Amino acid sequence: MDQFVQAALIGISLGAQYALLALGFTLIFGILGVVNFSHGGFYMLGGYVAYSCVAFLGLPYPLAVLVAVAATAALGWVFELFLLERLVDDHLATLMLTLGLYLVISTGLLTVFGPLSMEFAFPVTGALHMGPIYVPRENLIVLAVCLTAIAALWLVLYRTDLGRGLRALADDRAVAMAQGLRPKLLFPLAFAIATGLAGLTGALVTPILSLSPGVGDPVLATSFLTVILGGLGSLEGAALAAFVVGIVEAFSSVYFGGSIGALVLFVLVLLLLVFRPTGLMGRTVRGA
Amino acid sequence: MTGEPTMKRQLFAAALLTLPATAFADDCEMKLGAMGPMSGGAAQWGLAMNSAAELAAAEVNQEGGVKIGGKSCKVVVVPYDSKYTADGAAAGSNALAAQDIHLIIGPVGSPEATGIKPVAARNEQVAWNASYAKNALEPKFPLMFHIGPGPSGWADAVIKRAMQEFPMKSVALIAPNDQGGTDIASVDAEAYKANGITTTEEYYQRGTTNFAPIVTRILAGKPDAVDTASSPPGDAGVIVKQLRLAGFTGAIGRLGGPGTAEIVRVSGGLDVLKNFYWFETVPTEDPKVRAIDDEYRKLLGKDPIGGTAVWADLPAARMTLKAVSIAGTDDAKAVAAALRTMPVEDPNIGKGFWAGKKQFGIAQELQFPFGVGIIKDGKNLGVERQEVKPE
Repeated sequence: MDQFVQAALIGISLGAQYALLALGFTLIFGILGVVNFSHGGFYMLGGYVAYSCVAFLGLPYPLAVLVAVAATAALGWVFELFLLERLVDDHLATLMLTLGLYLVISTGLLTVFGPLSMEFAFPVTGALHMGPIYVPRENLIVLAVCLTAIAALWLVLYRTDLGRGLRALADDRAVAMAQGLRPKLLFPLAFAIATGLAGLTGALVTPILSLSPGVGDPVLATSFLTVILGGLGSLEGAALAAFVVGIVEAFSSVYFGGSIGALVLFVLVLLLLVFRPTGLMGRTVRGA
Repeated sequence: MTGEPTMKRQLFAAALLTLPATAFADDCEMKLGAMGPMSGGAAQWGLAMNSAAELAAAEVNQEGGVKIGGKSCKVVVVPYDSKYTADGAAAGSNALAAQDIHLIIGPVGSPEATGIKPVAARNEQVAWNASYAKNALEPKFPLMFHIGPGPSGWADAVIKRAMQEFPMKSVALIAPNDQGGTDIASVDAEAYKANGITTTEEYYQRGTTNFAPIVTRILAGKPDAVDTASSPPGDAGVIVKQLRLAGFTGAIGRLGGPGTAEIVRVSGGLDVLKNFYWFETVPTEDPKVRAIDDEYRKLLGKDPIGGTAVWADLPAARMTLKAVSIAGTDDAKAVAAALRTMPVEDPNIGKGFWAGKKQFGIAQELQFPFGVGIIKDGKNLGVERQEVKPE
């Protein structure tokens, strides 16, 4: 039973982190129709910006996280406005552009910071122990921030004119433009929100795990897996799928081991694609 | 007017003084490959290969270069990132062959060794792998050399020393689920069992970043110690951090590749590591061994990258370049033949032996004295020298 509760706690914690990443990933696909292969790069960049602010500028960690969000959002905005925007309807070109950006970010970080992991620790350490059950304090803080960010994103998307505009563009760009919505203003904004979320996750999670130029690779795979499970382009689906992925990963790894745990997740997605190709939420938001 | 020729002579003399002290034959340059993972979690090991090759090349160049066909040739190091994968190393062999490179210092990991062996044989390249694979050498690949023995050569000594500090009856080993992990963890497990310790083996998908579920699974077995085996140092650091967060107070071991400094950094310091024992490929406390870094800084004007692995990889690079001058060519077969006749000796590491006949059926493995490190109650007790005997 202890092991069961521990696995559930780990699963929820992983799920919240995956949700932040997947929401950004699916937001870009849902609104722009772009599969953002540079998502892991923004996660890494968020971690390195926060690390640099703490290590070189002496900023307190919470401020460093905000700077990381601002920096990754700004880079995302600029990238969309000046590069992606020109070719936004060409799927192959956007794939190459985002993949290229990922390579530029990862190689740049490797050149500047070197290949080894940084000494970047979360300011709060230790764990709450309740018998054999434990919850790291840092995970609780990250979980709280992740849930707050998810709630804020939901409010923006579903309770503001900006969110209604973004969702209208996702539903039908031609009709939305006929109603006066301006993609040239909203697309960079959506991209910036998504990359800012990736940067936030990187700034929060890398001090708990590790920060090196390779940490973005698994992020892309996890984000992809999550949004496919949830339904590519569906925000609610991505959030739900993120917690499913986190919990399945935790339980399968705890009960079957690290190798089979990874396999279980892929088998689950495979089965879903066979029996419910539109994903958990079952709605095609846009035709890719 | 008379001052002009004098000034020209002075400028000419000044220009001469700025030239390098060594002179190489025109158009004579020999490229030396350096291969290993130079990005990702195991980057430290690949970059160590490159640093070792760079230092050996700089030393030889300072002495006038290698002698090929009666000419003094400058050695230039060409690095290749083989990404700790079999296909990466195979592609690396081809890429280096395309640049007329016949000698490679590297690769590092077991998957890389598996990938490079047949391709390097076809390309007629000498390669020095540092993997701990059970088939790191094979008689059918006579151009493959081995930088040092795997755990079958040293695990028993490390375990016996660790048991003096940390009495243990059970150990859980954790490693990646590919050949680079399983080949080492399974041999480590046999060595623990031979010392009366029960073992369990846990494997994870390479690329895993959060080990909390696996840590929960390991701790359910209540082991006295956990061994991170050949997990890349970055992974091992996270595993240590999450083990301690989960309340594990037992000893943590590392019967695998070097990287203690990075494990200390990622895990959060000696206080987090607390009780730790590990294998070092060379006696790292020996001042002559440590002097390698000073030599590197002096000749290359920068710090070496790769930690203690640089020291372990250096003898192979030095011996290879010496063998080129003995053979008078960089042809792989001739260099391999020259290597086999050379005594195993390094100015910094000391005397060693050719080994590998017993395990692989081919004596092309360097065996030097190694080290066992102990951290107890958060205090680094240092690395003790362990001598080796010929097979």
